[in-house]
Amino acid sequence: MTGQYLAFFIFALMAITGGVFMINLSRVIHMVLSIGLSFFGVAGLFIMLQAEFLAFVQVLIYAGAITIMMAMGTMMTQGGDEGEKPKRRLHNVLSFLSAVLVGAFLLYGIYTTSWPTEPTDLGANNIKEIGVTLFSNFVIPFELASILLLVALVGAIVLAKRDGEKD
Amino acid sequence: MFGILDQQFSWLNFTILALAAVALLLVVLLFVMYAIYFERKVIGWMQLRKGPNRTGPWGLFQTVADVLKLLIKEDVVPKKVDRFLFLIAPIISFTPSFMVIAAIPFTENLYFTDINVGLLYYGAISSLSITGILLGGWASNNKYSIMGGMRSVAQMISYEVPLIMSFLGIVLMTGSLNLRDIVHAQIDSGIWFIFPQFIGFVVFLIAGNAELNRTPFDLPEAENELVAGYFVEYSGFRFAFFMLTEYVYTFALSSLMVTLFLGGWDAPFGLTFIPPIVWFALKFLLLVFYLFWARATFPRVKIQQLMEFAWKGLIPVALFNVMLTAVLKTLGIF
Repeated sequence: MTGQYLAFFIFALMAITGGVFMINLSRVIHMVLSIGLSFFGVAGLFIMLQAEFLAFVQVLIYAGAITIMMAMGTMMTQGGDEGEKPKRRLHNVLSFLSAVLVGAFLLYGIYTTSWPTEPTDLGANNIKEIGVTLFSNFVIPFELASILLLVALVGAIVLAKRDGEKD
Repeated sequence: MFGILDQQFSWLNFTILALAAVALLLVVLLFVMYAIYFERKVIGWMQLRKGPNRTGPWGLFQTVADVLKLLIKEDVVPKKVDRFLFLIAPIISFTPSFMVIAAIPFTENLYFTDINVGLLYYGAISSLSITGILLGGWASNNKYSIMGGMRSVAQMISYEVPLIMSFLGIVLMTGSLNLRDIVHAQIDSGIWFIFPQFIGFVVFLIAGNAELNRTPFDLPEAENELVAGYFVEYSGFRFAFFMLTEYVYTFALSSLMVTLFLGGWDAPFGLTFIPPIVWFALKFLLLVFYLFWARATFPRVKIQQLMEFAWKGLIPVALFNVMLTAVLKTLGIF
């Protein structure tokens, strides 16, 4: 047993249990915490694939920021109805079927893609490579994404401002 | 550390690493214990008081006694809290604070990881603590604690932005996120980054102080408004965990500042007969002293001043610093 195997096992377990708990828990704030665990596990898997930059951005954005945003959002808006949900048999069957379909589709995609068999050496300086690629080959998508984020930011401020004026 | 991370995994190596981590934890705990003593003494002297002077010679055992008291206190869990979150929140908050120390190089040979994204690692992992604070405040089911938790989150998120931006000038200058490379760049060029990156340093000092929730930015625990902020309902060793988190972050942030701006273990004026670890400790203590000094002399700011200062003051200055560094770098001055 290598350390890599052990670490993979732990992180995969974190990612999966986080997801399962997220679906099964009843209080929203517990769900938020478990999805945070899942994000963290995925970040660990990224580290094992030598994608350190992606891993820590995952921690910063998802496990840190998004979890907190969701937690604050639920705290501010919680209505208090956390009782028993009505049981809907047809709904459950349909969601099971669609989950199986999506899973089958993904598996089909994974099996039919021809993956490069030789591992690429990403090297110790892969952040530099990411930076160079991002700002030479993918400048326009990068700039477009930043404009999109800026629009979202301004939009959020406008919405918040309008809400405040009504009081 | 000592080349173990490059070797194959074995239980022996695992044990050695675990023991090293425990040793580091003991050093940090000792630091925390005497940092609190030092803080109380320094603030006492600045306010023309004596500070703790009863327990042991010069009051040296005062904090030892305090810690012992906290540890053997009853662990009270109030009835109407969200039990699971209430119990786990201090742990979520503390663990990242200790994890970030792994990235810091203390000397040329004494470091735990040589990670190529060291700075990003620090920023990312330290942001996880906020979740623990927010959950602790919420799970306590108390109006003061939830307000303290919300304030703390708002403050820490706001000040994280200028804090991380103030690093960017250095990253631009060295072209690396590796903390060891950053120290080596300072040793090679013979000039610490505090001089070419002075704006970044000032932004870091202020934003770091706010990130640590210390006076003048200790709004999350403003005792005259919120009793004690997010840990109102905590007692005993869980309360101690929250306090410990703050002081371990003091340790981590001051170490990071030494590494980034004060040349790490580099000896100034060619005084190399003093060992590097002592130089690191001296610079580190200077920054810790600054934090205590600020606490003793500044009044607390108001919440709207706090937010305006971050978004309208520090962030534009930090952005300007990044722009300036980029321009100077392009012109070939740096």
